[in-house]
Amino acid sequence: MAVWLISLFSLTNEAESIQGDLLEEFSVLAAKSGAHSARGWYWRQTIKTLPRLAGFGFRTAPWITAAAVAGGYLLRKLVAPLVDTVTFAVIERYPVLFEHHFRAYLFFASTGLDIEHLITFLLIGFIVAFVARQREMVATIVLALIWAAFALSGSAYAVIRSGNDELLWRLAWYIADSFAIVVAGAIVRMHRLAVKPRPVA
Amino acid sequence: MNLFYIVEIMRERDYLGEFEHIIVLALLRLDDRAYGVTVRQEIELRTDREVSIGAVYATLDRLEKKGYVTSHRGDPTPERGGRSKRFFRITAEGAKAVSRTHRALQSMTEGLGFIRSHP
Repeated sequence: MAVWLISLFSLTNEAESIQGDLLEEFSVLAAKSGAHSARGWYWRQTIKTLPRLAGFGFRTAPWITAAAVAGGYLLRKLVAPLVDTVTFAVIERYPVLFEHHFRAYLFFASTGLDIEHLITFLLIGFIVAFVARQREMVATIVLALIWAAFALSGSAYAVIRSGNDELLWRLAWYIADSFAIVVAGAIVRMHRLAVKPRPVA
Repeated sequence: MNLFYIVEIMRERDYLGEFEHIIVLALLRLDDRAYGVTVRQEIELRTDREVSIGAVYATLDRLEKKGYVTSHRGDPTPERGGRSKRFFRITAEGAKAVSRTHRALQSMTEGLGFIRSHP
């Protein structure tokens, strides 16, 4: 898991050296102090290393990463209303069907809509990750955090205004949307790592 | 005064940051044995502070971008799971930058006797 995280966040040319260095020190530590202690050390190193790798990835290509995040945000703004419009257009197109299958109607108008938004976020995550070459995780995590921040503040505002704390349940979907963006980033990164040949010494 | 001259002057005045300074000194100490593991261990040994491998690489990459350090890959080894080492070496520009920084620090600390009495 820790090795996988390092490969997700590091630039392709440095992942090999960092993983090799960690493994080399891990083997020495495991022989000296035991596997448990060595695993703890490995995880501490990984957790401290990830923000550094993310920061370095951003600093080496700030404009393309920022453009991918901004583009993803705007795309989401553009596409979100269309999801609702298309769903309700389909419902209205087949009124007889939904009159006989009221449960299906309820599903499409509530949970179905949430699932469609989730898929939309996943697709936007793919596009953002595709644009932010080698910085897939940085770009998608930043976009997910921005979206989560908006969702949190919006939900808090809605609950305070309406006094209806059941609205907080909506947050679970919003957080899932943000998570979908990051998952898309990880999928694209893993795909790129799988197709890219290892650098020649 | 042309632009290239200004850039050259700015480069001349570029000092190393604290961690950059420490990393470059570690490279000088390790000479041709300098790669991620040895650099990290050398710093931990001499400064008594825990350093992450990510911090070492982020700084080395930054120094390489500035032209103060060069790197080359060694052969893959079995104890590293078939992964190669990335060796680092200081350039002439890097050596100039470290002396410049050292001179500036020496000049700033000159006459400040309290440093010796406050470890």
